[in-house]
Amino acid sequence: MNSIMAAVPLLTVVVGSLFLLILEVFLNRENKSYLGYISLTFLVICGIICTSFWNKDYSYFNGSLHLDNLSIFFYIISLLTIGFVILISLKYLFLQEANHGEFFALILFALSGMMIMVSSTDLLIIFLGLELLSISSYILAGFRLKDVRSSESAIKYFLLGSFASAFLVFGMAFLFGISHSTSLLAIVQHLQSGTSFKLIGFMGLGLVLAGFGFKIALAPFHMWAPDVYEGAPTPVTTFFSIGPKAAGFAVFLRFFHIYWHSLESSQAIFWLLWVIAVLTMIIGNLAALRQTNIKRILAYSSIAHGGYLMVAVLAQDYTSLMFYLVVYLFMNIGAFSAVIALSKKNKEFLELDDYSGIGFQYPWIGALFSVFLFSLAGFPPTGGFLAKFYVFSAAVRQGLVPLVIISVLTCLVSVFYYLRIIVYMYMKEPFHTVDVYKENPALFLVMFLCVYEVFQLGINPGSILVLIRQALISLPVF
Amino acid sequence: MAQFLFFLLALICVISILGFILSKNQIYNALCLVVAFTAMGGLFSLLDAPFVAVVQIIIYAGAIVVLFLFVIMMIDVRKGIPPEKNRWTLYLSVGISLVLAAEFAFSLSKAICFLKTPATKEIGNPTALGHILFTKYIYPFEITSVLIVTAIVGAIVLAKKREEE
Repeated sequence: MNSIMAAVPLLTVVVGSLFLLILEVFLNRENKSYLGYISLTFLVICGIICTSFWNKDYSYFNGSLHLDNLSIFFYIISLLTIGFVILISLKYLFLQEANHGEFFALILFALSGMMIMVSSTDLLIIFLGLELLSISSYILAGFRLKDVRSSESAIKYFLLGSFASAFLVFGMAFLFGISHSTSLLAIVQHLQSGTSFKLIGFMGLGLVLAGFGFKIALAPFHMWAPDVYEGAPTPVTTFFSIGPKAAGFAVFLRFFHIYWHSLESSQAIFWLLWVIAVLTMIIGNLAALRQTNIKRILAYSSIAHGGYLMVAVLAQDYTSLMFYLVVYLFMNIGAFSAVIALSKKNKEFLELDDYSGIGFQYPWIGALFSVFLFSLAGFPPTGGFLAKFYVFSAAVRQGLVPLVIISVLTCLVSVFYYLRIIVYMYMKEPFHTVDVYKENPALFLVMFLCVYEVFQLGINPGSILVLIRQALISLPVF
Repeated sequence: MAQFLFFLLALICVISILGFILSKNQIYNALCLVVAFTAMGGLFSLLDAPFVAVVQIIIYAGAIVVLFLFVIMMIDVRKGIPPEKNRWTLYLSVGISLVLAAEFAFSLSKAICFLKTPATKEIGNPTALGHILFTKYIYPFEITSVLIVTAIVGAIVLAKKREEE
């Protein structure tokens, strides 16, 4: 149905961030945390509006903003991510001297970028949404102005990200050149029918894949991720590891759903993605083995999880892809909030040595962190196990047995570095005293919500799977 | 009259590009580039493409060259590029410019055939462009405005001096 209502959730977020920008001027330094609560209010309003639009299927701007169930599902994922990130950053910004009021406005701009990306099938709109997301991300990465590593991370992300955007636009220009359209459906139709432009279409698709591969940190375009993740403020790292991935895979989902169903989808693209998925899993997991910095370990782990998500794309099973994304959201936010919990004024404890003995010194943090790590590694009672199980079983049904064997082997490798953190926490003598700032109720709320969801999704995934199936109905049928 | 203007602008363009290549001082290089871009804008307006002409002047002569000037201000102008690097970039640039010349000659030989059909008037027409921008492409246009706000806010956040620190 064509209605301006389709734009209301997006407008809520954009108006919210502009409102925060104006309000920021009138608040003095001590009251900046009010902005966090106000931004949360906007997120809640947006969430309520989104859920009330379920099954309504609104669209606007000639269909380039399409609020079908799939878009709403990804809206909710993005809103949850940003909501959790704001909650865990309320105290962090104050403790680590990154307390600039613009943080909340910028993170809402990033959210609106994600929302634009996931609710469109037009390449031009997707690119603009991605740029909005990326530009806010570059700025957020450098938010600890006094920290050199934070600035380094921002510059690295900005320069490499601009290159990736250039590749993306170049590829899009090729695709536009052969199809005279920016709509994904029209492009796929021209890719299969056009005989003389096969090579140009293939080049365009390859360049677009490279650009997206950079943004969601797939190997061999992952080099930036560990450095950027390490230098950025930890709540921002949390956002980087989930937000762009979720939005990027939403676009992949919409594109490859059409592409795999086109009459003769090119085998070359399939094997290209196959190689990318395998490389991402192997490099992500093997490189994580050698790291001693918790943020770098989690960065490589998030690269590896991108590889498992690619397996779901190759298996053409979007239920498992979306389920994996939801589980990944909760377990990764949980793990990062445990890392944030171990910090005090102007000091974060990020080295593996700092974690020795934490399990007995701070039993709650230790226990919750262990649960998230077990889930990331894929142990049975948690959501991480079911997510991996669904993805791999879908891949086996699709006949991708060698791919699944490689994935399971890399999973086994990953168990080592996840459990190493737990071994440090429970089986080593404290290396030196670690005194953390404990009065952080919002952070513990996030950790408990995440641990609840990790178990809920691991033991009783039925209700979320029903929602995912309802969301996937809105994909075009062939 | 138009022919006279064309040759005048073309002459200015070629001379300033020559100055751009031959001058050793980076500031003069950038200024020559401004002149060349402005002359090129004039050439576009002679071709009945007012929008492209204005964009050429605003974006190339204005924004991009100012960016160059900022970069030049940040490096030490008197030092220049170290000589050992100069050698292989020289060979590389000769190779690349030969490839470019071949490409240019090829496209020019093809373009002669196209000249028989005159270009449509709509191409460089600001009215048509504005119309399509505010109807068909209103959504991307609005997203771009949000994008620019984000970029400005970010630049201010990262660059502004904080008092009491």
